[in-house]
Amino acid sequence: MRRALPLLLPLAGCDTVQSMTGGDGRQGALFNDLFVIFAIVTLVMLALVLTGLIASIFRRHPAKSSVPGENDEARDAPFRPLLIGWVALIATGLLFLTTATYLTDRAMQARAPANRLLEIEITANQWWWDIRYKSSKPWQTIRTANEIHLPVGIPARITLKSNDVIHSFWVPNLAGKQDLIPGRRTDTVLEPKRIGVYRSQCAEFCGAQHAHMALDVTVESWADFNAWRVRQLTPAPAPATPLALAGYNYVTTRECASCHAIAGTPASAQVAPDLTHLASRRSIAAGTFPMTRGHLYAWIADPQGAKPGNNMPVVGLEPNELHSVIAYLETLK
Amino acid sequence: MKEGPRGARETAMFRAKLGKMFMRSALGQRLFAPIVLFALLLPAQLDAQRARPAAGAAPADDGQWTMPSKDFASTRYSALGQINRSNVRQLRPVFNFDTGNRRGHEAPPLVIGSTMYLVTPYPNSVIALDLAKPRPTVKWTFRPAQKRAAQGVACCDVVNRGAVYSGGRLFLNTLDGQAIAIDAASGRQIWRTQLGNINKGETITMAPLVAEGRVLVGNSGGEFGVRGWIAALDAGSGRVVWKAYSTGPDKDVLIGPGFRPFYPSDRGKDLGVATWPPEAWKIGGGTVWGWISYDPRTKTIFYGTGNPGPWNPAQRPGANKWTTGVFARDIRTGQARWFYQSSPHDLYDHDDINEQILLDMPVGGRMRGVLVRPGRNGYMYVIDRASGQVLSADAYGYINSARGVDLRTGQLIPVKEKEPKEGRVVRNICPAAPGAKDWNPSAFSPRTGLIYVPHINLCMDVGAIEANYIAGTPYVGADVKMYPGPGGNRGVFTAWDPVRRRATWELKEDLPLWSPALATGGDLVFYGTMDGWFKALDATTGKLLWRAKLDSGIIGQPISYRGPDGRQYVAVHSGVGGWAGAIVAGALDPRDPSGALGFVNAMRDLPGRTKAGGRLFVFALPR
Amino acid sequence: MSSRFRVSLILLAALASAGCEREQRDPRGKPLPEDQSNVAKGDPRDNAYENVSYQLAQGQRLYGWMNCTGCHAHGGGGMGPPLMDEEWRYGGRMEDVVATILNGRPNGMPAFKGRITEQQAWQLAAYVRSLSAQPRQDVLGSRPDKMSTTEPATISEREKVVDETPALPRDEKD
Repeated sequence: MRRALPLLLPLAGCDTVQSMTGGDGRQGALFNDLFVIFAIVTLVMLALVLTGLIASIFRRHPAKSSVPGENDEARDAPFRPLLIGWVALIATGLLFLTTATYLTDRAMQARAPANRLLEIEITANQWWWDIRYKSSKPWQTIRTANEIHLPVGIPARITLKSNDVIHSFWVPNLAGKQDLIPGRRTDTVLEPKRIGVYRSQCAEFCGAQHAHMALDVTVESWADFNAWRVRQLTPAPAPATPLALAGYNYVTTRECASCHAIAGTPASAQVAPDLTHLASRRSIAAGTFPMTRGHLYAWIADPQGAKPGNNMPVVGLEPNELHSVIAYLETLK
Repeated sequence: MKEGPRGARETAMFRAKLGKMFMRSALGQRLFAPIVLFALLLPAQLDAQRARPAAGAAPADDGQWTMPSKDFASTRYSALGQINRSNVRQLRPVFNFDTGNRRGHEAPPLVIGSTMYLVTPYPNSVIALDLAKPRPTVKWTFRPAQKRAAQGVACCDVVNRGAVYSGGRLFLNTLDGQAIAIDAASGRQIWRTQLGNINKGETITMAPLVAEGRVLVGNSGGEFGVRGWIAALDAGSGRVVWKAYSTGPDKDVLIGPGFRPFYPSDRGKDLGVATWPPEAWKIGGGTVWGWISYDPRTKTIFYGTGNPGPWNPAQRPGANKWTTGVFARDIRTGQARWFYQSSPHDLYDHDDINEQILLDMPVGGRMRGVLVRPGRNGYMYVIDRASGQVLSADAYGYINSARGVDLRTGQLIPVKEKEPKEGRVVRNICPAAPGAKDWNPSAFSPRTGLIYVPHINLCMDVGAIEANYIAGTPYVGADVKMYPGPGGNRGVFTAWDPVRRRATWELKEDLPLWSPALATGGDLVFYGTMDGWFKALDATTGKLLWRAKLDSGIIGQPISYRGPDGRQYVAVHSGVGGWAGAIVAGALDPRDPSGALGFVNAMRDLPGRTKAGGRLFVFALPR
Repeated sequence: MSSRFRVSLILLAALASAGCEREQRDPRGKPLPEDQSNVAKGDPRDNAYENVSYQLAQGQRLYGWMNCTGCHAHGGGGMGPPLMDEEWRYGGRMEDVVATILNGRPNGMPAFKGRITEQQAWQLAAYVRSLSAQPRQDVLGSRPDKMSTTEPATISEREKVVDETPALPRDEKD
């Protein structure tokens, strides 16, 4: 099956981080297989149809019949078995495709054993993802934003909620789309098969910044995943330098604390992304910028320039305030 | 739970008929003498079958009223019997006094000797009236210096639940978080201690408890993400001796080696952290804004903790210890003795701060020292004072959000369909957020052995939303709309028999009952309605014997005392307000049903039936 | 195509494109201009926020996020006074409401200066004024984002809350 994939090369695009044909997750791989089956069957049918069409165009019109008493029906009689065979071929083909679809669907829906499931809850907002890792022990729940880590080979059940409008969660490499609808809970299961770094994109138009609503997905080994989880549970470290301390004071007493939370500080607001481990993420503002110092400056100084209409206001920081805030945020690994 | 269809009268008639038949039989003739002997001894036995206030916690009545609960056992019972069932119809107003304040008056007047002390809502003035004069006059007025901004972080009207008199001093708390001691004779301030921080949304509305040289104070602010605590101050100096938080690690909650909770779910290390998501316990609630009872024999205080924050339960998975539960602590050191959580992972703002009446009563055949508390979640709990075991939990109101209390594990059994969900509205949850009974305490009469419970019958719709925490602003996360429960009556007055575990009689009221009850030795029960009717009922049968219409709704504790002339007086404040009366006290707009955290929808008719006020009324029999 | 047809086509296109006036949004919240000499009356930012549907919608969101609902409910009040009536303790113009939000007021309104930006305060003020229906009807938000307090249309009568406790001997209607 995989050897047939080059057929889909035009569709793959050049980006492997967000590639639908990657097949890096169990659901994604199953779906790709089904896609290839469809492609082959329909291509073969297309070839036959085109052959028949071209043949009928270039077939020489017979001259007036030389056999006395022959009519159209008699002339077409030799073609009847061909017609029956054609109909049978179509019926078989359709039956084959239906069965393949059914079996793939069953395989995708197959329940993973409950004790191996990772439980994640994703709440979509305009235009960022609020992520909670659930646990049977309440003190081990994790809250983060715009980035998830998954252990390879372990299925993760993701419950999807929305706070405002309909969004859609789609990690092309791993699985199909699932909508997040306000007032309802939907869910999906991701079971990654390959270690790597992937990108998800909101797949349902949700407002002015729908295009800047990505989610970074990192699939890693079980040991690395646990190490990440332990790091996520530690609260933010106390600021070490005077500049970072000034930034800490600003962040926890001024505008930032009205919307953002940083564990271990008085800032506990819930309506904006959790910043406790901001500096360890791959991107800023749901994939709008990569996580670099310069981009952090650009984002904090003018969020409306990068993502106009999003809900983070232009705070209007003084230059020294900006320096101190960035210095503090960079310590939030 | 409730008595069967047969009334008391019919049962008595049936028994009399049986008795006559028995006496005419031959067996009856032979057993006559033993039966007479038995009957003579029966009253003594019945007496032994009745509940009594806990020994040592309810001293003999001296005709004064020195603390809002009357005594440490919280009986709210005055033994004075001059006003009784036969003459209460003649009860007349003797004098009244306008405090000048127009918010909700929840505090009782205190009477010590010939002086009466009134405590007003914010700004919490204390007014001393000289009762010895023919027309009572003001001796002094004490006005504590307070931050005005405290009014903005008081969830349920700027009330104060009263002061306490002890050793020549009055102790009270102010809205902006101070505990104050003033000299009762002169009105001079002796000490004040700043305990609460209004910038975090912390206020104090409760009446302190003073015993063993300690002043016990707890904070308010469960709707603001305030971490709850109870503190003991030295009565002489105001210095904090110990402080026990309601959430957090064991060393903050003062849980040590002497902590022996009865149920396994309350045993473990640092449960005040482990039953919360990370950091959530710091803004977790569990405030102590209600009533404390005290057992002097064992030096134990009993009090309840408030709701966890926010109201939206999805933001705080876990049992959320140590909120919505009852603590027993040593008054000297503050170390916890036991804890029982009435509503683990509370879903409905069912603060557990209601009064606990300390009784010695027969349970399962033998006398036990218990505390009886009408829980906010609708169950009447009887809990063993020594061990914390729940001996019984019977519903005294209509409940469809829980199936009962499992006495083996102590856990409340919730109904899954009634759990609030984010982004959706769950309808018809009973009881509503103020519960089957809110703060207003009940009274116990040792003569009838009944607990008189003024309470409410409300249901609600809740739409949970994600709450945002900003210090000093509400941290709730719920849109609420309340309306009358089954039957259409919003208030109920129940006479509950704690031994038989059921209501003896019940009265329906149109408006919710937000006033406490008073029981007297004349076999009378007094309470007030929110549209201003002050009523006296027969304590045994519940028949209405007398009532008077006051100028404003009543939410304050009625008291009874012996005046300087030796006569019995009954006093109560009018002045509607509190959470239920916020629509009048705060002049709210009835067009928005979600106002006052949902209460406005249930009280839209109140502004048409009463107005704001603040007047003390005193009644007595004519000379 | 005939010339008459061409002309009517052009006229039709012109008519259709005339409806393309879109509300000006200003995500950055322009500050006051330096030159204030031409200001006739009131704060020039009034018009930029008062009748702009986007600013009202943002104000509606902030009203919930900043916990205004906790004290003021959805206009009815509670711990704080109602906002949906005609009584304004400290003034009801846009500048007055902005000052109330930013500076606080003596009897308990907290000060939000330094905790929200000025732009957000103006958005909130625009929404607060909409609670008493002051802006134009066409800019008011259509989705209230709060619990519907009317009966759902699919329920024809309220579900009976059945109480199974038997009647007690004493009932009093007062």
